[in-house]
Amino acid sequence: MARSSLEMTTAQPNLTPLLDMVFQLITFFMLVINFKDAALDQSLTLPVLGSARPLDTKGQEDLLVLNIDAEGQLKVYGVVRDVKIYIADEARQEEARLKTKGTPLKPGEELPTMVVIRADRATRFNLLNEIIKTCQQHNYRKFALKAMNRREGP
Amino acid sequence: MRRRLSRSNADVELNLASMLDMAFQLLAFFILTFRPSPIEGQLSLHLPPAVPMTNVAAERPDVAEAAEASGTTAKTLEVSVFADATGEVSSVQVELRAAFQGPADAANLHKLDQRLHEAFALEGSPFEQVVIRVAPNLRYEELMKVIDVCTRQKMADGQMLRKISFVEMSGTDQAK
Repeated sequence: MARSSLEMTTAQPNLTPLLDMVFQLITFFMLVINFKDAALDQSLTLPVLGSARPLDTKGQEDLLVLNIDAEGQLKVYGVVRDVKIYIADEARQEEARLKTKGTPLKPGEELPTMVVIRADRATRFNLLNEIIKTCQQHNYRKFALKAMNRREGP
Repeated sequence: MRRRLSRSNADVELNLASMLDMAFQLLAFFILTFRPSPIEGQLSLHLPPAVPMTNVAAERPDVAEAAEASGTTAKTLEVSVFADATGEVSSVQVELRAAFQGPADAANLHKLDQRLHEAFALEGSPFEQVVIRVAPNLRYEELMKVIDVCTRQKMADGQMLRKISFVEMSGTDQAK
């Protein structure tokens, strides 16, 4: 009789501490994960400039990130893209977005998007200037030139 | 009745040690492999397309008069950056006068800073923007040093200089 009562026992373990830890892990990864980093080409060596300050748009500003390697090639998520076509597409999409928001761009007006240039420190000016001029042709005026505050690695 | 009592009094203890071990191992793995991307800084600029040198006198006669009285020329401030074969700065000119010769080291950049400060600090300074004429082979890192000095300047109205244009030097410009 005693044996049968043992077989009928249902287990109800206290899962609270386990849940606590799972939530802690989830919180940790939510805080750490940054999807924007995927758009940044970490193979580039940015110039070092002590006075460069981190970008803080508080999410109010749209950014167009351009990763430019030492050969002046534009890389989007690691894939080399044609600069002129890419920037023209982005500008067209931005204009369409502004139109749907009810604030269409007037002729000659500048786009509100900030172009973030992440160029390798060895990039020649003539290559970089071509990209800047292409952006200007599509009414981009706000630029942010990226640099590191201090040298990383060896 | 007896069966119910035995059920309610049963004290079951699950061994969670192995699960905790695994969770801690996972946590240790993520902590050890976590590599935050380095914090990047930036220089924010307003870059209008490069246009032929704007004569401020035509647009703002009042500023032009003040500038004339103080002996300055009412126009966009022009900074020329020359490069050597390796793409490093070889010399910098401000309004066709040499600011420094040699590499863009701390001492030379300080000289450039002083020259620009003098230009912008003049009473009734007409300068609202800087046009940087850059040698085509100048490396981005070297250019950033010059831009950095330019963006430190304050205009006559007390605002920081943010309007900068770039012009690529032609071969004849570099030969000068």
